[in-house]
Amino acid sequence: MIKKNDLILAGTVLIVALAAVLFITFTKKEGAEVVVTVDGEVYKTMPLDKDATLTLGDKQGNYNVVEVKGGEVTMTEANCRDQICVNHKAIHYNHESIVCLPHKVTVEIRDGEEGDIDIMAN
Amino acid sequence: MKMGRRTAAFLAGVLTVSMLLSCSGPGEKRYEASFLELFDTASVVVGYAKSEDDFTKYSQKVYDELKVYNELFDIYNDYDGINNIKTINDNAGIKPVKVDKKIIDLLSFSEEMYEKTDGKVNVAFGAVLSLWHDHREAGLNNPGRATLPDYEELKKQNEHTNIEDMIIDKNASTVYLQDGSMSLDVGAIAKGYAVEQVSRFIQKEGMKNGMISVGGNVRTFGEKYDEKGKRVPWTVGIQNPDTSSDRKSLYDLHLSGYSLVTSGVYERYYVVDGKHYHHIIDPETLMPAKYFLSISIVCKDSGMADALSTAVFNMPYEEGSKMVEGLKGVEALWVFPDSTMKYSSGFEKWCGL
Repeated sequence: MIKKNDLILAGTVLIVALAAVLFITFTKKEGAEVVVTVDGEVYKTMPLDKDATLTLGDKQGNYNVVEVKGGEVTMTEANCRDQICVNHKAIHYNHESIVCLPHKVTVEIRDGEEGDIDIMAN
Repeated sequence: MKMGRRTAAFLAGVLTVSMLLSCSGPGEKRYEASFLELFDTASVVVGYAKSEDDFTKYSQKVYDELKVYNELFDIYNDYDGINNIKTINDNAGIKPVKVDKKIIDLLSFSEEMYEKTDGKVNVAFGAVLSLWHDHREAGLNNPGRATLPDYEELKKQNEHTNIEDMIIDKNASTVYLQDGSMSLDVGAIAKGYAVEQVSRFIQKEGMKNGMISVGGNVRTFGEKYDEKGKRVPWTVGIQNPDTSSDRKSLYDLHLSGYSLVTSGVYERYYVVDGKHYHHIIDPETLMPAKYFLSISIVCKDSGMADALSTAVFNMPYEEGSKMVEGLKGVEALWVFPDSTMKYSSGFEKWCGL
């Protein structure tokens, strides 16, 4: 026998669940992208939420390896002379970027989750 | 739901512009442009404008102005029809060189900073710095054969670093280096100075809220709009000199109309026999300064912040602290080699500590 209170409980649970689904749907940051540029021109755009490895150039000349993994991006390998890009920490917040100056390569997050800072002094 | 943003527009061949809808103000949206060509580093322009076209006009103007300064302040390259700092160096001991007022102003400012910092930032230090530069370049290109400059040679070069041998004639708009073996190196001051001038220029042109960063030399003006559309200061992080740390920013500063410049051991360096040698050379020891991992300076003028960050890097803490406390509107953060930190008395007000 279903009592009135059971119905209220079931209804409440449903509403809460629906609210949760709506909340997640509307606040989830979708469509974060990894934009790779070479010499100032967009070379490739990749989704941040899909693991991928992108190799720019080849080992005979200049090369950089960009890795998207677990919602973060790193420059895992490069034969540039200063290795600043390879030593850079993984990025995932909006507008964060990794720059390889010697090879004129940039990797930037677009439409990503907002971080705390607008820009870094370094 | 896509919190959309478009990318577009290439300026001067190589300027990427993007926009962010989520942080819009009344009638204005936030945009960002970046480029790699100037001052041998990465530059970013952030600002609010009514449309992408409007912002593109602003960022193009910023680019063009910065390019003018970059060419005038260059010590390595010649440009057709321009007398720049390299031209002054090439004519050391030969003749005065007629130059643009922008160079006269930069060098006069450099003299002021030399006075203020007791010689710890010296544009006439080129003879020593160029020796380090050559060894660093060779070492980066051929790491197996990286070498240090010979100390005796450094000492010999250091005899040609007297800033009083730089003769500025404001009326004739000329600069003459009367010691034929000296040279100017404006690397510790030129970027910050250019960012300051261009920030003032672009505000006059009508961009009221924005930021310009050239190689992490950040100048803010006006404010940004937060997610609720409220006007708040810009948030500028201070790079952790330990680049392998998960804590990317040491402090987040909230700045409006102020500059933040950090000088550190982690950006330009080379390795000799497994040891790192960075690019900030102590005028006392003629070797990379050993007191700190990084120095950050907050003050209004970006040129002053740039010059002071190098000067304070080259001083023991006590001396730097005394200097900073004696300068109105200047705050500093010292990061010591063991990663401990100290900051000046008014620093906290910028980070809401």
